Amino acid sequence: MLQFSKFVAVRASLAVLTLLLVSFIVFTLMELVPGDCAERYLSFKNSQGAVITPADIQAERVRLGLDQPYVKRWAFWVANAFRGEFGDSCILRLNISQLLGQKFWLSLGLCLSALVLAYAIAIPVGILAATSKNALLNNSLRLVSYLGLALPNFLLALMIMLFSTIWFGESLTGLFSKEFRDAAWNWDRVKDFLGHAWLPIFILGWSATAFAIQTVRALMSDEIGKLYVTAAAARGVSGRRLLMRYPARHALAPIINSLGFDLNRIFNELPVVALILTLTEAGSLLIEALARSNDQQLAGAIIFLLTGSIVTINFVTDILLAVTDPRVRRSIVGG
Amino acid sequence: MTDQTNSPTTASDQKLKEAYFTASQRQLIWQRFKKNKSALIGAWVLIILILSGIFAPFLTPYDATIAGRDKEYMNGAPEIPQFCDDNGCSARPFIYTTERTRSIETNFRWVTEVKTGLEDRRYVHFFVEGSSYKYFGITFNTHLFGVDKGQVHLFGTDSTGKDIFSRTFSAINTSMAVGTIGVFIAFFMALIIGGVAGYYGGWIDSTLQMITDTVRTIPSIPLFMALAAFIPDTWSAESRFFFISMVLGLIGWPTLARRIRTHLLTERNQEYVLAAQLCGAKAGHVIRRHLLPSFTSYIIVDLVISFPYMVLSETALSFIGLGLKDPVNSLGVMLQNVTSADVLLNYQWYFIPVIFFIALVLAFVFVGDGLRDAADPYSDSKK
Repeated sequence: MLQFSKFVAVRASLAVLTLLLVSFIVFTLMELVPGDCAERYLSFKNSQGAVITPADIQAERVRLGLDQPYVKRWAFWVANAFRGEFGDSCILRLNISQLLGQKFWLSLGLCLSALVLAYAIAIPVGILAATSKNALLNNSLRLVSYLGLALPNFLLALMIMLFSTIWFGESLTGLFSKEFRDAAWNWDRVKDFLGHAWLPIFILGWSATAFAIQTVRALMSDEIGKLYVTAAAARGVSGRRLLMRYPARHALAPIINSLGFDLNRIFNELPVVALILTLTEAGSLLIEALARSNDQQLAGAIIFLLTGSIVTINFVTDILLAVTDPRVRRSIVGG
Repeated sequence: MTDQTNSPTTASDQKLKEAYFTASQRQLIWQRFKKNKSALIGAWVLIILILSGIFAPFLTPYDATIAGRDKEYMNGAPEIPQFCDDNGCSARPFIYTTERTRSIETNFRWVTEVKTGLEDRRYVHFFVEGSSYKYFGITFNTHLFGVDKGQVHLFGTDSTGKDIFSRTFSAINTSMAVGTIGVFIAFFMALIIGGVAGYYGGWIDSTLQMITDTVRTIPSIPLFMALAAFIPDTWSAESRFFFISMVLGLIGWPTLARRIRTHLLTERNQEYVLAAQLCGAKAGHVIRRHLLPSFTSYIIVDLVISFPYMVLSETALSFIGLGLKDPVNSLGVMLQNVTSADVLLNYQWYFIPVIFFIALVLAFVFVGDGLRDAADPYSDSKK
């Protein structure tokens, strides 16, 4: 038990270290964007008619703490970021955590649902594909998963949306109907939300599923040829019981391990899909922040939060794997 | 000796066997690759697409930028050359002349009118002179085909009158170029970082692994977006192009680096490495001359597999407007044009580049998969 908690502690500190590194990269990127907050604030004032001198900009820099050394500002930013406080966006002049708030959790929820959907389909289908000798089934599955890669999500989103607009007269965009957009959470709003959310979840899950089927199939066909499976079959275990008890358990361990990176891949698609479906959650905010207004505070906050959730999932799956897989447990606790 | 001369079949068998055992890695891979039909088809499609991308200026009749636009034929439908019509047949394929008119009959709206008269035929000619282009510093102006009067648009034109046929092929060229530069930058970074980590091991490996994992956890498209946002609007299209390719490469290296490291970790304890080290070879020499050749084939396979991801990333970036922009013209730039319902209803030919895009990615995936199976020495025994 002591060794196990030591393992958890080491993993946790590694996760925090990773986050610190990420935050450094993100912060550096934010700093590299030309123009700082002081200039932005004052250029806004300038546009309102005030007369601005270089001395004013300098004074504003001191007020915002931008004259402090780089590392110190980074430390300050990180300390706040871990508390969920990202300061104000200089362009929108709004508090970022207020701006993101619910939107970020909605996006995370969408991505996680897509991930669950992907594996709910991929695990049975992948196992089936690995065990089946049916050439037709195998080839058609291969083609579908190749298409999952070649038909990028944004194209799929676009097609579904355009076709539904033309044939059903419904636009399928957004996450809420108009009347529910700013309403408080209640049962009707949840129903409305689910009615809209299936499309982004399906689109986000599309290529993830294709990818996951490939992985499950490859891992499963690796395991199925191993001697312990033959031995189990020789002892009289057969059919589904054989598959579930022996090779499937081993084949799924690496998948659990890579869930974090799968989530990463789904996050990648989110901004583009969000742009097409005009979802007003974090993905499109990111595009807004980067493509239109160069809002580095907002972009940095979003990337930090995304990475934070991926690191957290990696950490959780590491622990989960150590708890469930006796081989991993043994390598930690010692034999 | 006498044995072999007496039975020529065993002699040739022997030769075959010998050929098998002395075959280089490359020959073995090629032998296995040839058996895979879908990969072979993919390879042919890929070669044709790449060649048509490279020779796009020659194969396509017009300049892909705004300079080659057809003012007389905007948002025009594809024109398919035909041999026969009501006025009789001709050995030379032809298309009809179109004219934009506006009069009281058309409610004063601009309408494209097709003239089908005998004198309005535009005949297709081969090797016609047209806009000039450059290869290796020599200027050419011969194009594979063209028409005697006006212009021909096999895939139609877009809203500014640019020829979609010409644009598609030059877009393939650009997307491939971005992919190539990106893959090579990623490859060199992966080689150096993965090589150092795998060869030295120990704390160097742990530190480098940690950095690699960190880069891997950051979602790459948002990171692309953050990096692409640096590009000032004043940059020329060409510098934008190089910057985007560089960014793609700088973010794409971790997966490859991990594989190289894992491979080196297992290879470096082999006897031949020890022998080289005992002979006094330096670390760089051992990596370059002994370890890398041991898995060049795997590296090549990895490069082919990562290629479509580069193309896809570039397309996604250009699609959201952060990547390439006119006049540089990539598949992503072309896909931008299909986003409105108007296009689906009225201008379906805008979707033609999409077919090429899917074909390109699919061809890469098939070839990559086929190569991976072929490079795996155990792939035969698995079946």
